[in-house]
Order: sequence, then C-alpha cells, then structure tokens
Amino acid sequence: MRVSLNWLKEFLDIETGVDGLAEKMTMLGLEIESVERPGAEINKVVVGQIVSIEPHPKADKLVVCKTDVGQPQPVQIVCGAKNVRVGDRIPTALDGATLPGAVGIGCRKMRGVESCGMMCSAHELGLGEDHSGLMILEPNAPIGQDIVSHLGLDDAILEVEVTPNRGDWACMIGVARELAALFETPIRVPEVHIAEGAQRAARLSSVTIEAPELCPRYIGRLLSGVQVGPSPSWLCQRLLAAGQRPINNIVDVTNFVLLETGHPLHAFDYDKLSENRIVVRCAKQNETLETLDGQVRKLDSSMLVIADAERPVALAGIMGGHDSEVGESTSRVFLESAYFEPVSIRRTARALGMQTEASVRFQRGADPEMALFAINRAAGLVQELAGAEVAAGLLDEYPNPPAPVEVELRYGRSDDVLGTCVAPREQRGILERLGFVTVRSSDAGCVVRVPSWRHDVSREADLIEEVARLHGYDKIGVTLPTVRQIDEILAPEEAKLRALRRFLVGQGLTEVFNWTFDSAEAVRKCGLPEAYLDMVELQNPISEQNAAMRSTLIPGLLATASRNLRHGNLDLAAFEIGPVYGPAKNDQELPDQYTRLAIALSGRKGTHHWGRAPEPYDFYDLKGYAESALGFFGVYVQFDAADFGPFQSGHCGRASWAGQPLGYLGMVGKEVLRAFETEQAIFLLEFDLDPLLAHRPPPPEFQTVPAYPASLRDMAVVVDASVPAGELEATARQVGGALLKRVEIFDVYSGKQIPEGKKSVAMNLFFQADDRTLKDEETLASWDTILKHLQERYGAQLR
Amino acid sequence: MQDRLKRMQAEGIAEIAQAPDTRALDDIRVALLGRKGALTEILRGLGTAPPDQRPAIGKAANAVKKALEEAIDARKTVLETQVARREARETAVDMSLPGRRPMRGHMHLVPQVAEEILGIFLELGFQAATGPDVETEYYNFDSLNTPPDHPARDLHDTFFVKPGVVLRSHTSPVQMRVMEKHAPPVAVVVPGRVYRNDYDASHSPMFYQIEGLLVDKGVSFADLKGTLLLFIHRFFGPDTEMRFRPHFFPFTEPSAEVDISCSVCKGEGCRLCKNTGWLEILGCGMVHPVVFGYAGYDCETYTGYAFGLGIDRIAMLRHAIDNIHHLYENDLRFLEQF
Ligand SMILES: [Zn+2]
Repeated sequence: MRVSLNWLKEFLDIETGVDGLAEKMTMLGLEIESVERPGAEINKVVVGQIVSIEPHPKADKLVVCKTDVGQPQPVQIVCGAKNVRVGDRIPTALDGATLPGAVGIGCRKMRGVESCGMMCSAHELGLGEDHSGLMILEPNAPIGQDIVSHLGLDDAILEVEVTPNRGDWACMIGVARELAALFETPIRVPEVHIAEGAQRAARLSSVTIEAPELCPRYIGRLLSGVQVGPSPSWLCQRLLAAGQRPINNIVDVTNFVLLETGHPLHAFDYDKLSENRIVVRCAKQNETLETLDGQVRKLDSSMLVIADAERPVALAGIMGGHDSEVGESTSRVFLESAYFEPVSIRRTARALGMQTEASVRFQRGADPEMALFAINRAAGLVQELAGAEVAAGLLDEYPNPPAPVEVELRYGRSDDVLGTCVAPREQRGILERLGFVTVRSSDAGCVVRVPSWRHDVSREADLIEEVARLHGYDKIGVTLPTVRQIDEILAPEEAKLRALRRFLVGQGLTEVFNWTFDSAEAVRKCGLPEAYLDMVELQNPISEQNAAMRSTLIPGLLATASRNLRHGNLDLAAFEIGPVYGPAKNDQELPDQYTRLAIALSGRKGTHHWGRAPEPYDFYDLKGYAESALGFFGVYVQFDAADFGPFQSGHCGRASWAGQPLGYLGMVGKEVLRAFETEQAIFLLEFDLDPLLAHRPPPPEFQTVPAYPASLRDMAVVVDASVPAGELEATARQVGGALLKRVEIFDVYSGKQIPEGKKSVAMNLFFQADDRTLKDEETLASWDTILKHLQERYGAQLR
Repeated sequence: MQDRLKRMQAEGIAEIAQAPDTRALDDIRVALLGRKGALTEILRGLGTAPPDQRPAIGKAANAVKKALEEAIDARKTVLETQVARREARETAVDMSLPGRRPMRGHMHLVPQVAEEILGIFLELGFQAATGPDVETEYYNFDSLNTPPDHPARDLHDTFFVKPGVVLRSHTSPVQMRVMEKHAPPVAVVVPGRVYRNDYDASHSPMFYQIEGLLVDKGVSFADLKGTLLLFIHRFFGPDTEMRFRPHFFPFTEPSAEVDISCSVCKGEGCRLCKNTGWLEILGCGMVHPVVFGYAGYDCETYTGYAFGLGIDRIAMLRHAIDNIHHLYENDLRFLEQF
C-alpha cells in the first residue's frame, strides 16, 4: 500500500523525518519496502497557460507557443505535442529546470526558432505512463505556481507491506491509528457534515438481509441530484499519491473513502433497482449476473448476492452488476456500505476467479463499525463535491451485532513468554493506546475488549505480541536456552546421507541438485520401463516438462549431463542423491517417497595433466564407483549382467544385495543419447538407498595382523570368452582351502597367441598361515586343486 | 727400494687426483694395487732384499698401500658426488609445471550450506528430523493454524497433487509430525525441499529450507533471539548485526522476521539491501497456542519457538550469486566454484 506522508500528517502530528518514520514503521511490523519522493527531482517547473500558438516556419509537426508563466513576459516554447490549445494550463519547465531522470531544460534553438523551456506530459514529471500529450491542469490552476506544490509532489510515498492478518492497516486511518499508539499522540479523524434533506430514506427504499450469517451488517443511503464532474485538485492529489487515476467526483469519492477508511462502498443506480429496494441473499442455483467487467457470471447457492426485488444486482463484496451501474443518466444513487463474512467472500471470489480491491478487503476482515463512518463520510463528500441531496436517515440493518471479544492478559505470563520484564502499567498502556478497552484490571493482569477492527486478536498470545511490538522487539534481551534432547534418533538416515555425500565428493564426484519435477515424456525418452510412468502428477504444474514428481533420478541426471556436454563441459563425474516418488498405495493418503543415488560419468577421467594422456571413462570406472559407494554401507553386493531400458545391451548390469535388486548400471544406449541430444558416451547408475540406509552392519571385528609372510602364486588360464572372469575367481576362492587368503584377477587378455573366441585370465593367489611360513608344497597342493576345478568346470587350459 | 716406494706413492697420488671418472680410477687402482699391480710387484721383490731391511720395507709398503687406498677412496667420493650432482641437475623438476592433482568433487552449494547451518544447530543440541515432500493439507496448513479459508494461504502458491494433498510449501509440517509423536522436550532442525508455484527470474518453484523447533518449559522470545544471534555470528561472522522485526506467520505468535546487517555496505545502504542496510534472512516466532493444541501439548506448561530459513537465499547472499536459477541449472562451471 502506498502511504502519502502529507496525507498521513492530516491524521496526526509526526515529528520524525521520513527515514526515521520508515524505520519506526518497519519496527512496528508495517514493513516499508521503499520510500518515493515524487517531487525531489523536479525543479523550476510551474503552472503555465498557453496564450498563443503559431505554426513553426520550418517544421510541420512543431508549433511555437507563447506561454504565460506568471512573469512579466510570456516565454516562447517550441512544442511537438498534438493536444496544444490556447487557454490550457500546462506544467511548464522554465530555463534551468530539471525533471525526473536528471533531465535538464534550457534555452535552445529548435529548427531555427528559439525555445525557452518545455511544456510537460505527465510521464515527463514522473507521474505515470501517459506520454501521449501535454498534461492538462484544471482551468483554475494558479499561473506561475510551483508545480511541485501545486500537484502535492512535495511528499514522500511510503510503500507499506501489509501482512494478511492486519487488513485494518490497509488504509490511512489504520496506519495513523498505529502510529498514534506508538507516538502516544492523538489521532484526528475527519469530521463528517451532512445536510440531510426532507425526504426520509426509509420511505424510498428498504434493506432486507436474508443471510445475516454472511452479511451481519448492511447500511444504505440515498443520494439524489448528483452532478457528475471532475474532482478538485486536493482529491486528485490524494488518489494520485495512492497510485490511482482520478475518474469523476462520484467514483473518486468512493475510492478516496476506501483509501481513508479501508471500507469498500458500492453505488447503485437507484432507479434501476426493481421496487427500489435491496435484498441480501444467497444466489439461486444457476442464477446469472453480468458484472461490471461485462462478464456473465453463473452463480450458485453458496454465493452471496445483493439483489433487488427480482434479481441479483451485485456480487456481494466483490463486484457490482452491469445493469444497476451508475452512469451519465443516473440521477438517484443508492450507496451501500456493508460488512460481509470474510470466508464467504473468499470462497466466492476464488470460485469465480475474481479478485478485486473490495474482495481483498472483505477477505481480510473489514470493520463493521467503520461501515457507518465510511458511508457518512462518502455521503458528506458527494454532497460537498457533487451537490447531492442526501435523504434523511440511514437504512442500517445490523440484526446481531457481534458480542465484543474480551481477552485476558497476565502480565507475568507476558514476561515469561517474552523473556523480559515490562511493567504492568506499560503493558496495559500499550493495549489501551491501540484501542483495546480495559474491562477489568488487577495487579496480575487485565481483561480488555478487542476493538472492532482487530480480527487478528482472540487470545492472550495475540496481546503478548502487541506488548512486544509496541515495547519494541529490539528492547527484548538475548538469552540462550537449555536444549534438552530425547533418547531417540528421529532421522537416522540424515547423518548417513551427509556422510555419503562427503564420501562421494572425496572420491572426486561432483554433486548435482535437480528439481524433483519430471514428466512422463522424459521417462519415455530414457527408454525406462512402464512402471516408471506411474508418477505422482501435479494439478497445477509450472509446465509440461514439470508436470509430475520424478519417479527416478535418471532423466534429470541425463538432462544435466547432456546440458553440460552441450555447453562444453565435456568431462563429467557427477552424482545426485535425492527423493523419488511413487503413487500412494491403496490405503495410504500420501505417495511413497524413496531415496536414490545416481552417478553419471562421461568424457575423460581424472584431472588433466601435461604428463599423462587423459583416458576416457569406461564401464569399469562406473562399476568401481558403484562398488565404492556400496562399500560405504558395508554390504556385499552381487552384480549380474542384465538388460535395462536406458542402457546398451551387453553393457548393463544389475546390482543386488541379499537377493534384493538395488538398481542398474551401464552405458547409456545410443538412442537415449540421441534423445538427449548428445553423442558422447555416458555411464550411468541408479541405486535404491533406503535398504542400505536402514542397514546397520555390526562394527568390523579385529582380524589378527599376520605374523608370517604370504606366498604368492600366479595362475593364468585360457577359457571361452563367454565365461565370466568373476566365476573363475569365485571358484578359486571356494576350493582353494583355508590357506588361500585372497584372489585377485590381474589380467584379462584376448588377441594374439589366444585362440579365437577364447580369453586368458590371470590371477594372483595369496596364501598365508597364521603360525608359520608356508612351504612350496603346501601352496602347490591348493594351486593344483584350483586348476583341476577350473579345468573341470570351465574347460580351462593352463596358459 | 724405499725410494721406489716413495716415488710410486707420489706418482700414484698424482695420477689418482687426475682420474676423470670412476672407471679410470678403478683402472688406476688395479694398476697400483691389483694382483698384478705395481705395489704387488715390489712386494714380490721383497725376497731379494736383505733380511734385516725386510720389516722396514714391508712397513713402508703397507703405508704406501694405505695412503694410495685413502687417496682412491677420497677421489671416488669426489667423483661420485660430481656424478650425483650432475644427475640431479639433469633430472631436476620444473617447479613452474602444475602438479598431478587427485580428482576433486564438489558438494552442491545448497546441501553444503544446509549442512553447515545444520551443523551449528546440532552442536547446540538440536537433532535432525525429516518429513515427506508430498504432504497433506492438514500438516502443511490446517494444523499450523492456517485453515482452508485463511488469507495466509494466498501467500503460498501451493502445488496440488489432489484435494487434501500438496507439495509442502514449507518445512513447518515436520514440526507437527514430530510433536504428534513425541512429548516435550523437542529440539529439532528440519532440512528439506519445499515447493511454491512461483517461477520467474527471482523464484524457483523448488527450493530448500531449514526449520528449527524448540519446545520445553520456559522457552522464551529472548531465547529465540539469543539462539539466532549465536547462529548469525557463527555463520555470517561475529561482527554481523541482527534485527528482529514484527511480522506475521499463522503458526507463531509473536512472530518476527530477522534481518542481518548488509554484508556489502555494512549498514550504509546499497543496491543489495535496497538502501536499508539490512538483509532479511529468516522468519520465526513463538509457537502459536493453536499449534500446540493440534499437537496435544499443554500450552500453559510449555512454550516453544520455531524458525525457518531459506537456504537458497542465504547461499546467494553469502556468495553474491545474482540469480537463483544458477543453483538448479547444475552447470559444472558453477558447481566447481564451491
Ligand atoms: Zn547494503
């Protein structure tokens, strides 16, 4: 909300400068987002009147004006605007003037004709976007007067952020009330003068409330003989300062009263109301109403309308109807000032997708008492500015005024909650300054009546906040609490995940952090199985690509890899840890959420160095990372050849632990790469982390450090190329006997000297005993046994 | 004979001193001291000497041998040192060339900052708690004193999965989940992704928060200020100033927004802080009695505070990152800076 300091000063005396005031307001919770000083950059601009217009001798589009600026001689100004007219009064920049944006004005020749100054558009003065032509001032603007004071630009506009609980702040009186409480100074509420006519409103119209729970109060006033015309400059200034455009005196008055009191008003053409009366009721099913914006609204029985004897004429608290709109032919006006239930307004506004100045106010909770002041204030102003006759009396339906809310404040409790000590007298004083009325009081506390505009206060905690706010948050000290903990770990996986992140980063992988949105299309692009298309969909996604919650990390990580490759980041070793989601199981309310790990490798490995040619990543680098990451959890994982959508056949495996699949790893298939607009090989894995996070391996048990040296034997055998080398190793381990401590494959070779379709596998066999140095015969026996089994099982030939 | 020995010693030592390398030196040693060497030759002729002179000649011969051996050893050391020096010179490293570094990974900035902040609170005795990203409206709003028609719901542009189920718009639902299950005291910090349907130059529809909750007997607003001041001093540095401003959150009362003194202008006013000298970093307050009601806590016996910080914003402030979208684009040239 824009708060004009000049306007504010009409309500109370403010001794602080603008900056100090902004700071104080911010510290009250009226956060100031910016301070604008509209006239600060305008100098030497005055009201001028055009006295003559001559054509420019050399330019068709320019004219030469003589403008009276209140000096002995008029000034000559060459002007290109289309709306120049003799007699108009225009903001005129004199020689040496400055305009917003540090624009300087002086005397110069324009196409050979002397021009001394400039006549300005509203835009050039920094007043809105209108630069279509000169800004025409009212005909009685005093010639020669400084434009800054004439337009009230010697002001400061404070942009205030109003929090949703404090709808009462969104008006001048509201802000003034708050500051008056802070400065302990009285507030000046404008006086209302109405000269009521002889005709009684009650004889001309009536108000019936059929839905009092949705409309607790409805006030009407009747005005006739309205002269629609422009508003006076003081009113225009107020509206302009608030960021509103003046329209005519009737509309301007309702807008002005809204800004002043925060209370929305509505004006009906009295003669267009059937039977000239008002009925506040719920709409009938399928009733329609054409609102002021020209839309025909289909209503239902949950929506509150203002109707005449026959049909709805306004959507209560949201927007008026087209048919009963006040227009040029209007002579009698029915003015409405009501209080509507916030929830009902909110629901209707949402259902119809309408959000208006009025609906926002009612949703936040208007003030039923202010309704009366607002309608009288408006009627008085319309009378004053538009010469209206006001019918005698109000049509004020207020069947059940709400019982006043009373709340108790215990001073000791307030001190305990705030951790400070505020004297009881100060606590009570603060509440009273804010408009709370003390009902009962003792040494220990007080009971106060909540003002009608404070819908946010209903309990002691709310009063404690008021005490803290006005006392000053900055005056409350700082202490450190004793933090007591419970004997249960609430999120044991959290610490493990943090450690895993560090572990993987320590291994040279860089972490990516993607949005958790995804789309079925992206899942398909990866060639993933159908199950992954079963996604948690959003009803209101930001885009098609982000229409659902991801069911896998693969599309996101592939997209990240591809984007990096396309941006020239050709070497990539990345991981992502994060949640994926699956649809809710039958009886669950919420979808499932799983934690996954994905790793992607592409390009060349290691850091690049002058002394070593970079090597490209291959599958075994990926498997190494897989083994390393799984080793972090202290589990033994089985890898088997497998086929899986995104991966190249023959370059893909499945990891399982304790018979449970953890995920797949492999080289991304050519088609998938193409779909992601890259050609460079990418190696990728995705594993489930939940079972691993839940796993608590026992702490490693100490193994005796061998006292005797190991004996090392090699064995190189030739087998069919299709025999997995890992099986040879496993067989060796299985039959090698107790002395065989370790088996390592150190070479796998096919090519020269090896027959077609065969490969050579060489293993190191480590033998060791705890109590002696082994003799050759002892290890040889085991070696023979291993060889025998390899020959029998795999047809292995010793090489 | 004595003279021959003396001459031999003098000539030998001179020759040794001239030896250009270890091989030449070896040749000299063989020529002088070897089995067919000059000294052996002389000793072999000892038999022809008069018997009374033999001991003296033998002694003299041994002295010559010793002198020659010492000279050879000395020369050898000199030559070997020369060789070693030359070799070292020839194989010297080029200190201007870069080393061969082990590969270094980078933790993403968001978890990195989250972890650092979490660490500060863990040290104070808080423990981590977590909850689901897809959350019920009950936990995300209702139980946090934000019923369906509450105006505060307008502040959160919420993603809906279906009626009653949303993407959590803050980490606060975890407060209720923890309190429902555990009687006080509660001291938790909650890291996690949160979602708001707000996507433009300065908003990401997914971002990251850390929530804190402390409930016990006698927890006060001053405790909240003290805890956050400690956090701010540890995270932003001991010279950073803190400012508590009244604000509104449905689930706390009193509520506050917390600013820190602008790191760029030190309070003088600059573009970053919109000339206020302050930067907003978090929201907080005393747990609302209604929230305690939903949790089944007795709000007369227990009080508590809660706070929530946006990790993205804090990371951006601390590292002067001008665009939130850098965080989620995952360009390696960005990731590798941290
Ligand atoms: Zn600054």
